[in-house]
Amino acid sequence: MNAREVAIATSITLMIVLLAYVIEAGGLGPIAPEKLRELAASYIISTYNPWNITHSAQSLEAVTAIVWDYRGLDTFFETSVLFISIVGVALLFRGYREKTGVGGRGLSEIVKTSTKILAPLILIAGISIAIHGHLTPGGGFQGGSFIAVLLVLLSVVFSLDFVVERGLSTSRLLTLRSIGLMGVFATSIALLLVGLVTGVSAYVFQNMVREGAPVSMPPWFLDRPTGGTLLFFNVFEALAVATGLSLAFIVLSLRREEVEEALERGEWYE
Amino acid sequence: MSDPVSLLLTVLVLSLVTNIGISLYGVFTRPSLVKKFISLTIFSDTLNSFAIALGFRRVARGYPSIAVIPSIPEDVSELRAAAGTAVDPLPQALVLTAIVIGLAVYMFLAGLIVMYYRHYGTTHVRPAEGGSIG
Repeated sequence: MNAREVAIATSITLMIVLLAYVIEAGGLGPIAPEKLRELAASYIISTYNPWNITHSAQSLEAVTAIVWDYRGLDTFFETSVLFISIVGVALLFRGYREKTGVGGRGLSEIVKTSTKILAPLILIAGISIAIHGHLTPGGGFQGGSFIAVLLVLLSVVFSLDFVVERGLSTSRLLTLRSIGLMGVFATSIALLLVGLVTGVSAYVFQNMVREGAPVSMPPWFLDRPTGGTLLFFNVFEALAVATGLSLAFIVLSLRREEVEEALERGEWYE
Repeated sequence: MSDPVSLLLTVLVLSLVTNIGISLYGVFTRPSLVKKFISLTIFSDTLNSFAIALGFRRVARGYPSIAVIPSIPEDVSELRAAAGTAVDPLPQALVLTAIVIGLAVYMFLAGLIVMYYRHYGTTHVRPAEGGSIG
């Protein structure tokens, strides 16, 4: 242990002690107060409020309402960052082609059969999480990552060849991912377009009726609240995230020869 | 400090802060890029848990509930009742954003590390010092 490591360890220990002291002394506000913060209370009261619809998102779940309605612009750019990152990964691995005909056999028959039973359940559970995002905890991102696990599972159990042969090539995944992002964009300006056509004023990312902007997404579908735009946002976000993460997993997955070579060679430092 | 919930919350805060320190130590001192990467993910996960913990609350009787209106309300008093037990939804929404952005960054970093390994044959942050056994 040299002087540099001692200095780092000392300063980090000091940081831990001081930070813990500041937090315990209430420097970041009280931990677990009895009273809800005013802002949080106003979000919960207005998230589904038919009596004050100009401040409401008509979504029973407050988190999704914040993510896609009250702070929708943030989330749009957040999705764009994810898209740019996936484009960046695809650019980094440019010239990448799915190597087919490697002859990966996958795992044993037992694992394959149980995966065949499990795969539709994972898909449906992911879709369910996504389209119920405005009613129960969950949403587009959570459902999409849930579905992306399916591709990892399939590529491990059946080999990557199997997945690519079924049509999930990287270019098609990137296309689907772009469709998802375009869907999010189209949903965000849908009411603005309606307003332009009918000649009333409307906002970008408008969901329910606002003051001076009388257009609104349908808050109900049959006997269920839809949260207006939230349902569409969640569906498109789930599509975008599921295909985008699948694409990243495919591109980042290492070939067997490469892993074996790395294991054989080893690295001597810690 | 007297009641057990306060004590547990103190333990929670202390362990989260300690976790921040340990993960920063990993980022600073480990020479392997993969280990730096793992430490960085632990660091961001700790901060996210910390933000969620800041949104937690206590209620006088029973347990706090999630930030969901349990059923379609009949009048405004039900909404006020929900606000009486629900936790703060804002940190959760912000953490969701932070997780997605973090995921985007980590995906790109992981790609960079893979390319680094293919180029240098090692993940040591100074390729001249690190190397293979054979």
